[in-house]
Amino acid sequence: MEQIQYYYFNLPIMRDALPTMLHGLGLTVLMALTTVAMGVGAGLLLAILRSYPSRWIRWPIICFVDVFRSLPQLVIIILIYFALPYAGIEFSPFWSTVLGLSLVLAAFAQESFWAGITATPRGQWEAATATGLSHTATVLFVVLPPAIKTSIPSLTNRIIAVTKGTALGSAVAVQELLAHAQSIQSVVANPSPLTLGALLYMAIFAPMVAFSRWLEWRYRWSR
Amino acid sequence: MTSAPVLQISDLRKSFGSEEVLKGVNLTVQRGEVVVLLGSSGSGKSTFLRCINRLEEPTSGSITLNGNSVTASNANLRTLRKQIGMVFQSFNLYPHLTALKNITLALRLSLGQTRQAAEEQAKHMLAQVGLAEKAHAHPSELSGGQQQRVAIARALALEPQVMLFDEPTSALDPELVGSVLEVIRLLRQRHMTMVIVTHELGFAREAADRIIMMDKGEIVEEGPPEQLFTAPKHPRTREFLKHFTGR
Repeated sequence: MEQIQYYYFNLPIMRDALPTMLHGLGLTVLMALTTVAMGVGAGLLLAILRSYPSRWIRWPIICFVDVFRSLPQLVIIILIYFALPYAGIEFSPFWSTVLGLSLVLAAFAQESFWAGITATPRGQWEAATATGLSHTATVLFVVLPPAIKTSIPSLTNRIIAVTKGTALGSAVAVQELLAHAQSIQSVVANPSPLTLGALLYMAIFAPMVAFSRWLEWRYRWSR
Repeated sequence: MTSAPVLQISDLRKSFGSEEVLKGVNLTVQRGEVVVLLGSSGSGKSTFLRCINRLEEPTSGSITLNGNSVTASNANLRTLRKQIGMVFQSFNLYPHLTALKNITLALRLSLGQTRQAAEEQAKHMLAQVGLAEKAHAHPSELSGGQQQRVAIARALALEPQVMLFDEPTSALDPELVGSVLEVIRLLRQRHMTMVIVTHELGFAREAADRIIMMDKGEIVEEGPPEQLFTAPKHPRTREFLKHFTGR
């Protein structure tokens, strides 16, 4: 019992590690927010484009989505960081991670939005078409508002799953939360910073989970 | 009544796969005329109506609206569709928008009206269908009859040349049917050109200038309501009327 306390809940070590770890936490939050903005935005755009009746638009989107849904996030981040420079494209560790995660989130978000779009009754499209609305206007003003509501539960799940992947940034030397925890751990020869890291992850992701529950609850009743 | 027809449809055919559901339908509708399409389900009357604004793509045949081809490959469909109002069996109101916004959406996006002009027009239309006080209600807060009247107002607001009604009262509880038929009667008094698919035979007899009887994708009989109801010539018409009046 004392050993567990010494190795995993060592308060003096945790106290010393806290300032550095908070620094890492800031970067984690920044990465998460950037990923959500880029991933959800790109996913929405792809879902809108996919609704156009052209296979030259539709097929590349479906290919993109299926590739990035099947590749592990870590593999994508490592490819961007280590392989792309050979093609003359270089990203910082931060942007390699954010870009990799955004691509994955975009693929999943596209599927969520697309499910909402296809769940829209045909009559909605027909009513809009019959009043002379263009395809774009129909999608933006008639189909999407209810479709986004429909897609919220699966979307929030994906957002949480993918943004937790910011911890993978430690593999390409982003000085985020987990990277700091690991480096301090090896210096002090005590894994308590990891416990602190876990608590800090909880501190940012638990409110996100609660927020997503609230969103789901709210939209269930307002329909 | 002028001689130039509003709608002229000739030899309209439509196949779903190998099944031909419209087998060469011809119909001319004069300005101000009310045409009612009758027929059992599967006779092709709804498909025919939906071909007129090309919600359903006809396989062959031609349709003109005031002399402009709807079926030409270079037809400006958006412009033509604004002139063809359509009312659906299941209303198809936009659930996330108020009654007012359901109407202003096309006014603003299809006709390019300003917000203020569109809202004035929409309020005017809602008043005409007796729902002025429901402008800010969402569809889920309205009865079926009220929803259908909003849907009619939405189509009318674009000031179409012709209104198409696809079984407008079939999804309504019996006690709500009257309010919707009342609005259609009002339109008739104002000489709106209308093509109506309905199973309300009493209404058809009273409101139609001409009745078209369809069966298996073809027009089997047409004429003024009195003639068709009192002395139907085609055996299918007789059978259909007997079946419905015997209900």
